Amino acid sequence: MKKKVLGFMVMMLVLTSALAGCGDGGSADGEEKLKIGVALPDFDDKWLSYLQDGMTTYEEEAGNIEGIYVDAMNDAAKQMSQVETFISQGVDAIAIVPVDTESVGTIVDMANGADIPIVVVNRVYEGIEDATAYVGGNSIDSGIIQMEEVAKLLGGKGNIAIMNGTPGHEAEIKRTEGNKQVIEENPDMQVVLEKNADFDRAKGMTLMENWLQSGDQIDAVVANNDEMAIGAIMALEAAGKLDGVVVAGIDGTPDALEYVESGKLQVSVFQDAAGQGSKGLEVAAKAAQGEEVEKMNFIDFELITPDNVQTYVEKWQ
Amino acid sequence: MTSPYILQMSDISKSFPGVKALQNVKLDVKKGEVHALMGENGAGKSTLMKILIGIYTADTGSVVFDGEKLSISNVSEALDKGISMIHQELNPVPEMTVAENIFLGREPTYGKTGIVNQKQLIRNTKELFERLNITTINPKAKMIDLTVAKMQLVEIAKAVSFDSKLIIMDEPTSAITDKEVAHLFDIIRSLQKKDVGIIYITHKMEELKQIANTLTVFRDGQYVGTDSIDNMSRERLIEMMVGRELSHAFDKEHAARHEVALEVKNLTKEGKFYDVNFHVRKGEVLGIAGLMGSGRSEILETIFGVMQADAGDIEVNGQKKKMRTPKDAINAGIGLLTEDRKLTGCFLPLSVRDNMIMVNINKYTKNGIINQKRIEDDCEDQKKKMNIKTPNMDQLISNLSGGNQQKVLIGRWLLHNPDILFLDEPTRGIDIGAKSEIYNLIFELAKQGKAIIIVSSEMPEVIGLSDRIVVMSEGYQTGELDRSDATQEAIMELATRGELIKRKTS
Amino acid sequence: MSNLSTVTNNTSDAGLHKESKAAVLFKKYGMLIILIALIALMTALEPNFINSNNIINIVRQMAVIGIVAIGVTFVIITSGIDLSSGSVIALTSVIVATFAQEGTYPLIVAVLAAVAVGAATGVFNGFLIAKGNIAPFIVTLGMMTAARGLALLFSGGRPIGGLSDSFQFLGQGMILGIPVPIIIFAIIGIVSYVLLNKTKFGKYVYAIGGNEQAAMIAGVNVTKVKILVYSYAGLLSGLAGMILTARIASGQPTAGTMYELDAIAAAVIGGTSLTGGIGTIGGTVIGALIIGVMNNGLDLMNVSSYWQQILKGVIITVAVYIDARKHKKK
Repeated sequence: MKKKVLGFMVMMLVLTSALAGCGDGGSADGEEKLKIGVALPDFDDKWLSYLQDGMTTYEEEAGNIEGIYVDAMNDAAKQMSQVETFISQGVDAIAIVPVDTESVGTIVDMANGADIPIVVVNRVYEGIEDATAYVGGNSIDSGIIQMEEVAKLLGGKGNIAIMNGTPGHEAEIKRTEGNKQVIEENPDMQVVLEKNADFDRAKGMTLMENWLQSGDQIDAVVANNDEMAIGAIMALEAAGKLDGVVVAGIDGTPDALEYVESGKLQVSVFQDAAGQGSKGLEVAAKAAQGEEVEKMNFIDFELITPDNVQTYVEKWQ
Repeated sequence: MTSPYILQMSDISKSFPGVKALQNVKLDVKKGEVHALMGENGAGKSTLMKILIGIYTADTGSVVFDGEKLSISNVSEALDKGISMIHQELNPVPEMTVAENIFLGREPTYGKTGIVNQKQLIRNTKELFERLNITTINPKAKMIDLTVAKMQLVEIAKAVSFDSKLIIMDEPTSAITDKEVAHLFDIIRSLQKKDVGIIYITHKMEELKQIANTLTVFRDGQYVGTDSIDNMSRERLIEMMVGRELSHAFDKEHAARHEVALEVKNLTKEGKFYDVNFHVRKGEVLGIAGLMGSGRSEILETIFGVMQADAGDIEVNGQKKKMRTPKDAINAGIGLLTEDRKLTGCFLPLSVRDNMIMVNINKYTKNGIINQKRIEDDCEDQKKKMNIKTPNMDQLISNLSGGNQQKVLIGRWLLHNPDILFLDEPTRGIDIGAKSEIYNLIFELAKQGKAIIIVSSEMPEVIGLSDRIVVMSEGYQTGELDRSDATQEAIMELATRGELIKRKTS
Repeated sequence: MSNLSTVTNNTSDAGLHKESKAAVLFKKYGMLIILIALIALMTALEPNFINSNNIINIVRQMAVIGIVAIGVTFVIITSGIDLSSGSVIALTSVIVATFAQEGTYPLIVAVLAAVAVGAATGVFNGFLIAKGNIAPFIVTLGMMTAARGLALLFSGGRPIGGLSDSFQFLGQGMILGIPVPIIIFAIIGIVSYVLLNKTKFGKYVYAIGGNEQAAMIAGVNVTKVKILVYSYAGLLSGLAGMILTARIASGQPTAGTMYELDAIAAAVIGGTSLTGGIGTIGGTVIGALIIGVMNNGLDLMNVSSYWQQILKGVIITVAVYIDARKHKKK
């Protein structure tokens, strides 16, 4: 606890001094830094905060980059105007995690029009080839990897309950789509229940409690993210029904890893947030310096199971 | 043949539930005439004007306007026919400009596009102002930035801009200075030359001689008479306005001389009232008389801590008190029955019981918890004493009649048992039966030794109830009358003197 | 206030409005009848609905929203509004989680922290509204944004785990077979009922909502009562945040998103009038249960989330429509 408070105070201090530092103008070593505008959809999102951490870590390592981070608060229009600001500021490159996959096309066109390299991170969209580069995973793959492992654990048969994230979210659509592709390949597996719990632990828990009351046989709960999966685990545990139900999540957050370690969460999928972040910034920096960059940079999804969980625990340390 | 009259209203009656607002009244206005319409508050002037411009529909009677029988059902129809009205209470759109306000709803547009031609709008306004010799108002100014007097001028200009054949002016000088009054009168005279008829409602007798040609008086919803202004003396006018027998029997003994319960010295609230001095003794009923806007209600509200005095002292039982909030006044033993029952009295969504106990819940609270039983007993008691008609105490007060609501509100104060009770318009809007019950209650309370101050627009009521009467006019205390000297004529004389004082001081 | 309208004779002396018995009954118990009908409907469609486990389940799920809704009821009765509840839950959640770490402070410290954080936000709201004369909508909208920001800042945007078992008991435990959240909900319900109906403070709350001017003239310290009302609402949001945190065993800066709207919906469905002066604790609890029963039943029947949202919207609108009709009659 004390550490926490101390950390908080240190953070405030750092923040204040960072703000104070801004006034100085150029950096101390006199070298002109690369200005890279980073447009993120939501500072509140936990997974994205890991991605941002990956970026800042890379920024420190590289030394010649100055990242300008802005929060669109999940508002596509706001993100657009933030990118407009980047362009008028004359940044050297832009890295963007799009709020939605519709408006990002326009944003990319804007950057192209201003001749500023733009790297799209984490979320693919129709027309991605117009962007300078893409860095990230392929959402549908995570759903596939997740369900393939569940199918393996169930021996290719059983009743599946799917917990969807916030309706309309790219991750919600694609991950569930990946899940269902695998289910179709296994004729003895079927979706018996499917519902949204908004990527939220409390909502996932409530939904699971209600599902348990329905009396339906459930062999596996496959959730679009770890938080909902944890909620489901807690509800199952409280009802004494966790044994015999496979629970699967996606993201591999530190909380989730603890559940994997204890065997309660049998499947998670690691979307390397920090990896995407650092790679995203790296590609943007290269493009800013005029270097040729790879168009599609896939950061692989990795399957997390109780067997290999230790590797990922260490990643966060 | 053409009639000399622009307007002939005859045999007009109008009833509201429980009240006969107008009974067979008439009003004839000639072309090019300024016709003053006078009467006490509630005499029926406003109701008649509202019938004329289509806000109300008359129950009986006929209206002939410009030789044509008229039935108007809304204001815009009245404007089309050529009747416009300057209301006493101004209703401008504050964030719009002067020009936009004047031509609201009939802005000049570019053809049929619906797009407002701003230049034309300003030009029209300038022309209008030139015609009326208004030089001090910028058509592009926002209404909100104008003084009340200038707003009043804009309203007048607006009424004139309709090129009406008849303009109704409801107390147009109530908010403007003498210079502007002179300006207004110039405008009126120029309208007269164009044969425009003007109905001029006012309380100010001084103005009559200056501007009016003819005068009609209403009283209690009835037509009293019409005459040329030259035949009218101040005394005769007052008699016409108030000359009636007291309609209620006030069976009252003069109060004994007890000690002073409340005294105010040089009490002043800028813009409301100035330098007010009076006292009220235990067991005495003091009336405060005056026309609307004379400051009478504000005096009570100031003593009660609703607003703060700018100067002067308030003494309760000989001790100086500061009234910052109503709570201070209540603690000092004062109760206030407010003027507007719905607006500041009743808790409409709540039960009769909750309405009654709100002032003194403390009395029923033990260790923080309310003792329902004692409340029940006390409320039942009040219900019986005051003959409140309600099936039970859970009934919402909004379901009760006006008279019974008023009794509940008085009951609220009686439960608290204050030594000094202010009653502002205690019988407004309630039926005769409840009225006399409330009168008896007031006498009864005085007999118990309470000091009572009463404000009422109904003069017979003030005279009948009070031992002494303080008369206010335009914020000034113009006199004090003992019960034996208090006649309606005497009160009216004092109640209209304020403008003289005002002129002297300004 | 003295130069306002003259004649107010719109009520004839004939006496009371006549209403049919059924109308009176519906007015009083309308939402309870709807709740029972809803339960009957759900049972008919899904036999699993009506078992004691599931009923307990529903009440436990609604405990958090229900507690917030009770606080919001006080606020709405004064004709105010509180949009900050959801964010206050989040702020409480992360702060409480740091005080509830395994092996640090005794349980009481975490509970007190929840109460303190919640009440502090409420005092702040109340002060700006009552003393600063700023519209409640604006003040609490500001608090909604600021408290969420503080929660994120404090937690660095990440969930805080590692909560002690004794703390988790508050969300997950049972006493005599009854889940602890339900017990806390019930205690808060009873205390709030007494506060609103049996104390001076409660009467003043109704009085201010019924007619603020009249309350002031009746000697009510309007400023003080308003500050207390918002403080109580904040305090209850804090307790709700504590229960939520204990239930999901994690302090979450994103917890409670949109809970303020569910809470307002529960109050309104339960008959609390947004124009002020009207509302009961019982009604709000019923309102919360209606939302809970609907969510649960539709989950059991595996009806899509989209329909769930549409139905909730319809119920809220109908409730407000009924409320508006009631007022029109007068």
